[in-house]
Amino acid sequence: MRRGRGGRRALVHYGGAVLLLLLGAFPLFWMLSTSLKPGDEIFATPPTLAPRHPTIENFRQLFRETNFAIYFRNSVVVSFTTVVLTLVVSAAGAYGLTRFRFRGREAVGRLILLTYMFAPIMIIIPFYILMKQVGLVNRHLALVLSYTTFCLPFCLWLLRAFFRAIPLDLEEAALVDGAGRPRAVWYVVLPLALPGIIAAGIFTFILAWNDFLFALVLITSDELKTLPVGVNDLFNATIVDWGMIMAAGVMITIPTVGFFVAVQRYLIQGWGAGGIKG
Amino acid sequence: MRSSASSAGRDALWGWLLLAPSLLLIGGLVLYPVAYNLWLSLFDKHAFLATQRFVGLEHYRYFLTDAQFWSAVRYGLVYSGATLVLQLALGVLAALLLNETFRGRGLLRGVVLFPYLIPTIVAVILWKWLLNDSYGLVNSLLLGVGAIRVPVGWLGPDHIMTSLIVTSVWQFFPFVVVTYLARLQTIPPELYEASEVDGAGPWRRFVHVTLPQTRQVLVVIVLLRSIWMFTKFDTVWLMAGDGAVSRYVRTLPVYAYSRTFTYLQAGMGAALAVVMFLTLVAATVVYLRILRADEEAAA
Repeated sequence: MRRGRGGRRALVHYGGAVLLLLLGAFPLFWMLSTSLKPGDEIFATPPTLAPRHPTIENFRQLFRETNFAIYFRNSVVVSFTTVVLTLVVSAAGAYGLTRFRFRGREAVGRLILLTYMFAPIMIIIPFYILMKQVGLVNRHLALVLSYTTFCLPFCLWLLRAFFRAIPLDLEEAALVDGAGRPRAVWYVVLPLALPGIIAAGIFTFILAWNDFLFALVLITSDELKTLPVGVNDLFNATIVDWGMIMAAGVMITIPTVGFFVAVQRYLIQGWGAGGIKG
Repeated sequence: MRSSASSAGRDALWGWLLLAPSLLLIGGLVLYPVAYNLWLSLFDKHAFLATQRFVGLEHYRYFLTDAQFWSAVRYGLVYSGATLVLQLALGVLAALLLNETFRGRGLLRGVVLFPYLIPTIVAVILWKWLLNDSYGLVNSLLLGVGAIRVPVGWLGPDHIMTSLIVTSVWQFFPFVVVTYLARLQTIPPELYEASEVDGAGPWRRFVHVTLPQTRQVLVVIVLLRSIWMFTKFDTVWLMAGDGAVSRYVRTLPVYAYSRTFTYLQAGMGAALAVVMFLTLVAATVVYLRILRADEEAAA
């Protein structure tokens, strides 16, 4: 009786697990598989599950015949600059919110949370006009600033939660020992908040790496474009070369998934505390 | 006495100083644009040239009889409604599964997030390939099992909305999974043990223990997801672009974009952004009401 019930339960678990695995990973596997197929195999009917004659020709073509390498470099530069800037600004802000008492502190916290809900489309029009007025259109700085601003609300909330959890005693002990506040922050607070900082950094990277709308509106020169817009242009330019497009998809996906897998446990922690938008 | 007053002053100074960069960025690049947007919506403004003319509430009056506006509202409601319900159902089911104990659970918790982490452009080209009418895997499988006789044009006018919904649900259900799972993990096991003694089956345990415990997080998920789906631009735009099928999925964000950057009517585009902004405010007010009612009921 008990065993029968347990068996059915296991069946539900593993049946569900297999379905979920297929749902989450199969489309990505299909992308990888297509990217490694030679041209004639891509259009074979019925399709082959894994490439019968794997080739890296699609990748070679992507780097040789298109501006993909330039888009990739632009994306790397913009994303990493955004991560550094966001972490510095939000760590300072979160420290200010948790370690100093002042009037309006709670109001500031609430205001920041409100902006968390904003979607890019709601401000892109005035944003574009403002950027044009200050001469930042078609500059990577415009992208860095917009991504930083959009990541700030949740990075601040995330880091605030982490800083709050660090006992003040530890920091005060360091101060009593004669360390100045900067040293206490560097050697005591930041290491303890490292999981939060890593989570905030990854969230920011993903948002900057993935963004389409700001990059579409703010960048016009081909040699300054980032991956999402550049690849969309490739997709729309001619008759779609599916092998090459799937190779591009694989190349864009690798950094995100790689980072994620490397620091997964910090991310899940951070998600509980703040969350990522999209 | 004096020293504590001056230390309070120093505290405030440091607090504001450290917050200054954040406030400057959020104020200058989010709050100011929102206000400027409101102002802009009262003008006839060219998207690239400096010319502008005050028209008051003319744009809003125009929307009342604008067939394109109402069709965008309708498409937006269909899109956000359908994707919300589906990602909620799928996400909650997956979270319940991932809250159980079985081998490989940790790995699966990571894999299930992939669709949410990859760029929208990748999700879209991937599904366009899967749904391709001549060579796509979906048609090939459906033909193989005999579910259809001729290939279906998934990306044509008749099915583009369905395809967009499928792609979006796939892309966004992981958000529901992780957010719901985080809350599930904090439910005290004693609550389940008590109901187990009563002999309650899985369904009754879900209705009587899980659901009441997770009510608040569900409200938050519904609020955030409905706002973000209603204002979703990139997935919709990339799926249909401004090509021939785009008019079958033209939601408000896409309409606002094309008004501004295709027709170059920035003022009207701004007015559409204001409409979306007001929807967000209304949704938030409803959310706060529900939350307050909950707290009062608990008290």
